[in-house]
Amino acid sequence: MKRESGALEYHWVLGYISSLMKESIQQPKPSKLSFRLQCLIVFALAFGCLANGQTYGSASHQATVQVSQVTLIQVSSGSVNLNISGANAVAGQNTMTANDQSTSLLWGTNVSQRKITAQTNLASSIFALKLLALSPTQGTAAPEITLNSTPWDLVLNIGKSSGSCQLQYTAVALASQGTGSDAHTISLTITVQ
Amino acid sequence: MLFLSTTSFLIAMQHANAQPISISGNITMSITTGVAGGGLTSAVNTTITLSYRRQNALAKITVGTSCPAQSFTLKVLATSVTDGTGAPEVNLVNGMPATDFITSIPAKPPANVRTCTLQYTASSTFAQGNSIEDGNDVHTVTYTILAQ
Repeated sequence: MKRESGALEYHWVLGYISSLMKESIQQPKPSKLSFRLQCLIVFALAFGCLANGQTYGSASHQATVQVSQVTLIQVSSGSVNLNISGANAVAGQNTMTANDQSTSLLWGTNVSQRKITAQTNLASSIFALKLLALSPTQGTAAPEITLNSTPWDLVLNIGKSSGSCQLQYTAVALASQGTGSDAHTISLTITVQ
Repeated sequence: MLFLSTTSFLIAMQHANAQPISISGNITMSITTGVAGGGLTSAVNTTITLSYRRQNALAKITVGTSCPAQSFTLKVLATSVTDGTGAPEVNLVNGMPATDFITSIPAKPPANVRTCTLQYTASSTFAQGNSIEDGNDVHTVTYTILAQ
């Protein structure tokens, strides 16, 4: 309601200025009338925008958002133990295996074209240790790998994502290899694909 | 001559009345870490003050932004509002229509400066990428005080 009232007053002022201008043109000399006209024109120029428009003022500033390249990877548990015992042996077969799916891998990367690789620090192990990524939430699991000191693909095409998968370790021993133990430190790495 | 003098006087009067709205400066917010399997950690900035004055009529302040090729998320909330009512947090999206930020600012008097703190929250998902590949988001955020 106030806006409508203001607009009406403004139009009244403009109308009044118009009539004064007509009178002023008819006046041979400057007079009190021309002074009133000047004042009203100044008034209209100074406050017209407020009466007619609704904006009183504005201000701007810059807000910049920077996002670093962030790449994170972690396993749910620090250690996995695989024991191959008589329970894993089948009479007549040379190969014995033990399996573990108790750990999972979590990652997050905002960098494009990335994959996850796995390797062990053990250059020469007695027994084979295999690893497979189960049900990755992002990307594609590579075929099961036998770990060695060379990085092998574990999950491909993870892209820019946050995801997880289950880690399936399989230890393989041949009866002919006798007894012993291998202690692996396994590195899982997000790297350029 | 009289005309010019009167005009000068009025312009001087307007300058004496200071700006109806102003902002204390620019900001840069950085997202640098996150949680594996989760998300990136948001950045919050509360260092900027928005100053404004009561007008001749009931007024409000709106907010809008220009950020071509925007990649990340930026939200703003008015906190510690000394005059008027702060709206819920506004998600700043490039080209958005002006959105209510503070409403129900009473008419003057008095006309002295009112303030609020601009609480900016920058966030991003891993999928939204990074500034090295996609560039920074540079928002020109505009606050406008107008009749409500």
